[in-house]
Amino acid sequence: MTTTTPVESPSADGPARPAPVPRDRRAERKLRRDAERDSVPHAMRGTRRGRIARGVLLGLAAIVTIFPFYAMVVLSLKPSAAVEFPGSLVPWPLTGEAYDSVMNAQDVPRWLFNTLVYSLVSVVGTLLLASLAGYAFAKKRFPGREAMFWSFLSMVMVPYHVTMIPTFAMIAKLGGVDTYWGLIVPTLANAQAVFLMRQFIKGLPDELFEAARLDGCGEWQIFRRIVLPLLKPILATLGVFVFLWHWNDFLWPLVVGQSTDMRTLTVGIASLQQQNVPLNVVLSGSVIAFVPIFAAYLVGQRYFTEGVTASGIKG
Amino acid sequence: MAVVAERARRGRLGGPLARREARIGLLFVLPCFLLFLAFRFGPGVAGVLMSFTDYSLTGGGRFIGFDNFARLWEDPLFWQALRVTVLYTVIAVPGTLVVSVALSLLTRRAFRGSKVFRSVFFLPVVTSLVLAATVFVWIFSTGGPWSTLMGWFGFPEGSWLSDDVLVIPALALVGVWSRFGYGMLILLARMQDIPRELEEAALTDGAGPWQRFRYIVLPQLKPTLFFLAVIETTASFQVFDAVYTMTGGGPANASYTLVFQLYDAGFKYFDLGYAAAIGVALFVLTLVVAFVQRLVIGKDQ
Repeated sequence: MTTTTPVESPSADGPARPAPVPRDRRAERKLRRDAERDSVPHAMRGTRRGRIARGVLLGLAAIVTIFPFYAMVVLSLKPSAAVEFPGSLVPWPLTGEAYDSVMNAQDVPRWLFNTLVYSLVSVVGTLLLASLAGYAFAKKRFPGREAMFWSFLSMVMVPYHVTMIPTFAMIAKLGGVDTYWGLIVPTLANAQAVFLMRQFIKGLPDELFEAARLDGCGEWQIFRRIVLPLLKPILATLGVFVFLWHWNDFLWPLVVGQSTDMRTLTVGIASLQQQNVPLNVVLSGSVIAFVPIFAAYLVGQRYFTEGVTASGIKG
Repeated sequence: MAVVAERARRGRLGGPLARREARIGLLFVLPCFLLFLAFRFGPGVAGVLMSFTDYSLTGGGRFIGFDNFARLWEDPLFWQALRVTVLYTVIAVPGTLVVSVALSLLTRRAFRGSKVFRSVFFLPVVTSLVLAATVFVWIFSTGGPWSTLMGWFGFPEGSWLSDDVLVIPALALVGVWSRFGYGMLILLARMQDIPRELEEAALTDGAGPWQRFRYIVLPQLKPTLFFLAVIETTASFQVFDAVYTMTGGGPANASYTLVFQLYDAGFKYFDLGYAAAIGVALFVLTLVVAFVQRLVIGKDQ
């Protein structure tokens, strides 16, 4: 899924910097596409009929895939009565009524805030803990290293639901029900994240750390000034994943956030769905919760595809 | 040079440098490891132990041996949940795999817009099923798009979600919709590693597209398909979000899945020991299925 850019953008060193050449991204893409296509033998490219058939099939599949999103958005913009099929899918007339009522009368702003806290704190915490542990597992020798690492990995196979019940009992005993820490802290122990970090850091050359050590850097400084900057690509990938995982998480927030005030968006929307809230209002809540997912997806698409393939095949 | 220095440094295991390194290593691992002990490893062990007790939030906690499992065995609801979960898996997993393979083949080669298609197909994977479920309830409602479409194929009008036979196929369809993009992406990554010479050789021998897929590509994909089958089976054994949001286990427990029962026992009746036993049953089931799949699919791996 990685693509190399054939045209380098001008580097930014020196005051006499030449005016940036506008990159013709479309032309670049076409070049890459043609290169990839030309490496395939002509007979394997398929006939014209075959290509048309492929286009039709893909178009149909894309429509089916997109349809729920389209329906979600259009229905959420309808005045309350008009939810009959198929007329309701015509995007006319549209109104923001449902959004007004969901943002004012319901607890959606509070749930949005909870979800943000849950997702962002978890991302920062998980990335920090996992990169520290990953660095130690990859580059430090200490007693019990292998045993610890394998105990991490073995737990990946145990279904979340086996550990959830005792975790909940413990959090309840400690008074963590309906608190942010009760929601967040148990999710910070992420074995996959540690594994991914270790794999990545293993590939970094030892000389870098040695050189810094000779220059008199302390271990913490080495970690902060050398390891973390080198980790940027994997931190971005993992960060996007952890963010989405928490944003979409349902069962754990459902059992820990029991009061209305402590619900996350997914839990809140599920509760709206079960009350007699009009469909367009529920859907406007869904759209609000979906917008950040979609934005993260658009921005971090490359990271997604790389992360999925990396974690999927190696994990 | 660096290797020599490294070896010299590490050779002196008891030396001050090595001790320092060990201290730093432990210090860096410790926060993560303690959390892991407290919230993964500990609860994992506790989950199994708890399944042998009558622990509940209101009291109890006595060791009761295999009573929970005996109770499960006699609980018609457990068998219903097991039946529903297996039925869901039997529809959703092959469905997901077939769609994944088809779409990875179609988007395999770069063409104008191939990346856009891949992105579109992956979008449901990153979408919360709870959010998607709110619109799927409408899609499956009486007179909604699905019921209308199915009417053309001779199905009686009415919501699949309130039909005790059709509710599981409906949920499985949602499952396929939400998961096939993941399979597609994994398969695409694997396909890039298939040596092109193989296909070209087959081509010169006169093999058509189907034959090239059947005899060249598919065998190469086998390990990946096995991996996906395990992942997808595990995921569908744990189906919960969509069930909770779309049907609440109904109608008449027709979509009551294992995790739904676990949730019900634990957080509606606060019968945590019993819920833990359901968790253990789920775990055992997952292991058994992974093992059987290994025997059937991965014979020559």
